[in-house]
Amino acid sequence: MLMILRVKFTKKGYLKYISHLDLMRLFERGFRRAQIPIKYSEGFNPQPRFSIANPLALGIESEEEYMDINLHERIPIDEFIERMNRELPDDIKIRDAKYIKDKRSISSMIGWSYYSISFEAENIDRKEELKKLLKDWLKGEKIIIKKLRRKKKKIIEREQNIRPFIGNAIVEDCIVNDEASNVRVVVNCMLKAGDKGNLKPTDFINAMDKYLNLGVNYDTIDIKRLSLLIEDEGEILPPM
Amino acid sequence: MIDMDKFDKVLRKVEKPARYIGMEKNSVKKDLNKVKVKFAFAFPDIYEVGMSHLGLHILYNLINEGEDFACERVFAPWVDMEEEMIKEGIPLFSLENREPVKNFDFVGFTLQYEMSYTNIINMLHLGEIPILSKYRDENDPFVIAGGPCAYNPEPIADIIDLFVIGEGEEVILEILEAYKEFKNRKGKRKEFLKEVSKIEGVYVPEFYQVRYNEDGTIKAMEAIVEGVPKTINKRIIRDLDKAYFPERLIVPYIETVHDRIPLEIFRGCTRGCRFCQAGMIYRPVREKSIGRLLELAEELQKNTGYEDISLTSLSSCDYSELPLLISKLMDRYEDKKVGVSLPSLRLDSFSIDVLKEIQKVRKTGLTFAPEAGSQRLRDVINKGVTEEDLINAVGYAFKEGWSNIKLYFMIGLPTETEEDLLGIRDLGYKVKDIFFRLPKEKRQGNLKVTLSASCFVPKPFTPFQWVGQDSIESFNKKIDLLKKNIRDRKIVFNYHDPKLSYLEAIIARGDRRLGKAIIRAWEKGCKFDGWSEKFKYDKWIEAFNETGIDGDFFALREREIDEVLPWDFINTGVTKEYLIKEYEKAKGEELTRDCRLGCTNCGINRNFTGGVC
Repeated sequence: MLMILRVKFTKKGYLKYISHLDLMRLFERGFRRAQIPIKYSEGFNPQPRFSIANPLALGIESEEEYMDINLHERIPIDEFIERMNRELPDDIKIRDAKYIKDKRSISSMIGWSYYSISFEAENIDRKEELKKLLKDWLKGEKIIIKKLRRKKKKIIEREQNIRPFIGNAIVEDCIVNDEASNVRVVVNCMLKAGDKGNLKPTDFINAMDKYLNLGVNYDTIDIKRLSLLIEDEGEILPPM
Repeated sequence: MIDMDKFDKVLRKVEKPARYIGMEKNSVKKDLNKVKVKFAFAFPDIYEVGMSHLGLHILYNLINEGEDFACERVFAPWVDMEEEMIKEGIPLFSLENREPVKNFDFVGFTLQYEMSYTNIINMLHLGEIPILSKYRDENDPFVIAGGPCAYNPEPIADIIDLFVIGEGEEVILEILEAYKEFKNRKGKRKEFLKEVSKIEGVYVPEFYQVRYNEDGTIKAMEAIVEGVPKTINKRIIRDLDKAYFPERLIVPYIETVHDRIPLEIFRGCTRGCRFCQAGMIYRPVREKSIGRLLELAEELQKNTGYEDISLTSLSSCDYSELPLLISKLMDRYEDKKVGVSLPSLRLDSFSIDVLKEIQKVRKTGLTFAPEAGSQRLRDVINKGVTEEDLINAVGYAFKEGWSNIKLYFMIGLPTETEEDLLGIRDLGYKVKDIFFRLPKEKRQGNLKVTLSASCFVPKPFTPFQWVGQDSIESFNKKIDLLKKNIRDRKIVFNYHDPKLSYLEAIIARGDRRLGKAIIRAWEKGCKFDGWSEKFKYDKWIEAFNETGIDGDFFALREREIDEVLPWDFINTGVTKEYLIKEYEKAKGEELTRDCRLGCTNCGINRNFTGGVC
């Protein structure tokens, strides 16, 4: 019988600086220390069978990541969470887990990613002002960005319309720091993620900065993923 | 603690921020205000290299076991990080508490490689600690160093306050205990140095003075302070079963060079290769028992979750009960998908059988080290392998499904001729013939033979400590000869940079006068010299010229047997008479047997173990 555990976990703090591969290794070793009965692939070089949906880029934190893991023996959910969290670092913790019957993998189901993006902007000083700018920008049907692609030795420039990949974007906060006379902006946005189209939050910021002339200070950008969502027959839902 | 806002700011800008964050599984973070002695273990290279070093893990855990002690790790920041740290004014800091290194009581460097010395200077500078020992005062940490290169400590004698010669597990605790007392009574810096100089294995360079002959050789080295030892005896751990070995190891977040459990199965080596420093200085051979090894493996596996246990030593196939050890480990861990691996292989079918057993995995490359191309030259260096061994081993490996063979050689070995050199090519072609002599249906994979040549660097405490190194020109000629003669799609020829080997040779057998040249090279921007893209040969040569150092004098000159060598005051247990005898035998192309088969009188059992090796 197929035993698949869908797991929700965090990746925060300084651990945003470990790569997807590092994270895979961390879980593999964590499973072994916690003695989780995980299934291994057959063959000469057995690999643990688990997959993390929509890998995060280096430097992005997340409140909600998902993975599916294959077990060869059923263990109680509470016990799984308890044993894993004893082995995991503070900034990577299992939040929830659930056995699933659906055969579709978590990776194939993810459609949207919800981010909180925070940065300092030179040309903005009021929340209302930014709200209006954003609203007008998203009214258009097309937002074109230029993407560079490396093909063999040539660099090819390609235009892309990212408007369909932006679900929404709202100004969450606009904090004026009187002392330093700079403004920290927090924008929450829903961006397309997964196999059927993907918009990187950094590309979104670049486009927003370029079109709205915000004067983003790129050294101050903090990005956090708040959640991953699936789209099922037009409905947007949490994965578990 | 350093300024965390600045820390956060620089992490955004560097290539691999995870090198600097610490917080790994099994790392130890103590309250530094609650311990009596703070020790910063400094590795003069980047995180990925340093974390692969077993000595770090042993000493880190050992010191942290002490309630009054804290040990934290410090690595050389990569150049991008260094630049950002300087820009923000962040001093060099430890990973655990992100504490500036200057606030520690000790900064301890491990000396694994001569070409890391500029990194030591750079780290002291970034740590805001005076580079020269004589400029440090009561507010500065003691700078201490150990490791294989400490067997010739002289080139950095002006920089290091005290050296530890030999194995560190016992002596480090003796030093820290002595410091605890000293700190309580608020003694003077010199008093402490004087006190620890009485501990066996400790060398305090400032208590000695070197006088030179007119020709630049050493006349004498003498103590200038009363009560310090004339000879420094190396320290060894007598019984490895009883010696400390950590049961928890830090598990890095990022991939390191050796990302696995290092299970040390023995120390020392009995083979007696005449070029090999490790084979001489780590004598005698001391094995851990199978019982102890299984116990350690169990704890380490449980505490790390690693997928691989590597059986480490200088020559792991020589462990007396290797097949039994491997089968026991495999029995225990196969279910958990934990593999066993061997870092080095002997050239025989026994080794390949062992490998077959453990490598049920992909048949990746096989590496052997014949070291020299002809039997004559292999006899000179006492590398006890024959061409027959190689042919049998390779033939067997091909039948078992391997197809990627790597052979390591050295060029510039004493007495080498053109014939010996071309022997390297001949071995490569023979290996190729063995593959194609197999019936077509039995050949597996695509043949690739790699012949890799490094340039011989004579090292202290070896029978070749007196010989002159080949010049760079001579190395280049030899490399050209091989390049011209190795023309085959299946055979790849690689070689090391002779310029780097020349510098290694200068420092490896250098004396105190080199210190200023190394500092000057650092001032000219040299660091990470072991990283080929960072190595600045021209700057080094400028540094030698400006400080009046003749590199050829140290690297190329053949020494007289009775010359006073800069490291003569250290006693490794292997006598000078033995080294001389071995040097003579080398010239006569005479072999010396593996001393597991009978004592060869190197002296170690008289000096250190009282009869039994």
